[in-house]
Amino acid sequence: MSLSLATSNPPPSEMAMQPSANASVTPFPVKCQIKNVGFYYGKFHALKNVSLPLHDRRVTAFIGPSGCGKSTLLRILNRIYELYPNQTATGEVLVDGQDILAPGLDLNLVRAKIGMVFQKPTPFPMSIHDNVAFGIKLYERLPKSELDDRIEHALRRAALWDEVKDKLRQSGLGLSGGQQQRLCIARAIAVQPEILLLDEPASALDPISTQRIEELIAELKSDYCIAIVTHNMQQAARSSDYTAFMYLGELVEFDETEKIFTTPREKRTEDYITGRFG
Amino acid sequence: MAAEHIIKSYDEELGRLNKTIVEMGGLAESQLAAAIDAVAKRDSELAVRVVEGDAKVDELERETDNLAVRILALRQPMARDLREIFAALKISSDLERICDYAANVAKRSIALAQTPPIQPVHALPRMGTLALRLVKDVIDAYIERDADKALAVWRGDEELDEMYSSLFREFLTYMMEDPRNIGPCTHLLFMAKNIERIGDHATNIAENLYYLVHGTPLTEIRPKGDKSSLEVVAPDRAAAR
Repeated sequence: MSLSLATSNPPPSEMAMQPSANASVTPFPVKCQIKNVGFYYGKFHALKNVSLPLHDRRVTAFIGPSGCGKSTLLRILNRIYELYPNQTATGEVLVDGQDILAPGLDLNLVRAKIGMVFQKPTPFPMSIHDNVAFGIKLYERLPKSELDDRIEHALRRAALWDEVKDKLRQSGLGLSGGQQQRLCIARAIAVQPEILLLDEPASALDPISTQRIEELIAELKSDYCIAIVTHNMQQAARSSDYTAFMYLGELVEFDETEKIFTTPREKRTEDYITGRFG
Repeated sequence: MAAEHIIKSYDEELGRLNKTIVEMGGLAESQLAAAIDAVAKRDSELAVRVVEGDAKVDELERETDNLAVRILALRQPMARDLREIFAALKISSDLERICDYAANVAKRSIALAQTPPIQPVHALPRMGTLALRLVKDVIDAYIERDADKALAVWRGDEELDEMYSSLFREFLTYMMEDPRNIGPCTHLLFMAKNIERIGDHATNIAENLYYLVHGTPLTEIRPKGDKSSLEVVAPDRAAAR
């Protein structure tokens, strides 16, 4: 019999050529390189030798139990910690190659480049319009019409415009929690930052508002490099491209989100994401 | 299994899922063993019991589906837990198929028992015993979460395939020798094919178990010993044998 058995599987050499499931995340340039970063609250060593990249136009999520240092790391990225005494950071945070931890750098310029939104919505006790204008006015003097355009654009990008366009002069404090949080995001992006830091942006919100914020993150990532700290693992899985798992001040594992939530390399990561941490 | 979950009831649910699969595996083994016995001993009563026993396996498969869907909806499993559930769903449908084939072997043995015994019948239990070993080994591998043992089953199927190919030729020869053999030999051919398929389902289980344990699929190309699909037997060639 001269007929050979045909197999439906391609030979191994061909299979190796096919893109793996993980190849869906194409490499985007690194916007921010965190290099050997450490942090001290007085003598307490809160963050130990953390290094990882934040990719441009991608979302990187930081997960880990309370006290693991993920919020601390975010606070380093725009030097908020400097507002407090006895807090010191070591290492380098290179944004487009420039170390933003270097002494002598203009802090305001750093913060204009790197916007931050906190866990609890923090609208200022002023009108919706002025809340968004506040940040812009810190850095730029714009003619009124241009300022208004910028405010509208920011509110649209934050998916809030349709809900507030008829009450821009009313107080920001009168909005619902989810709207307030989107107002804070609008205020952060009105300054036209390059990196957006979100510290538990949806943890104080109801499920519908949470989904709005997640949808917003998906929208915003086409323009920004986004880092998000979250306690909600499903949220990290849903909204990020890369995930960093931190524990006791150390970076345990950093990888594509799909990999972290399906086949993590480290047992500690697996134990944490499957709910086995004691 | 890995360390316990913080939420105890999650472990209980995963444990129940595991137990249901093991129970299905046990049934698959006993159904197949009884079907082979029914053929070897021409025991139609036993065969009827096997055919009737199939309903229990179908019930367990539905139970597995319900449990798995419930855990997916309520626990949002990740990583290994997710693979546990994914594997349980696939393995339960393989086990259900194995039992279907065993029931079909039993059903045909009833028809076979009504015709005079013919020589090649003896080869079938031999093939059945080999398939039974694969099923038993792969269930043991599942219980122990032993990927190496699963791999051995995955490779062992080749022997079953080869046995099927040679039986296929043997049955054809008997049919050509005496047309009165065509009836029983056709049943035997189907039974042998069923047993060969059981081996394939055992290897499916082995693949899913491998994925469960390692998180990566088994990408090697499996050795295949069944060449019967390409077999052509012309009357003159058969006469020459």
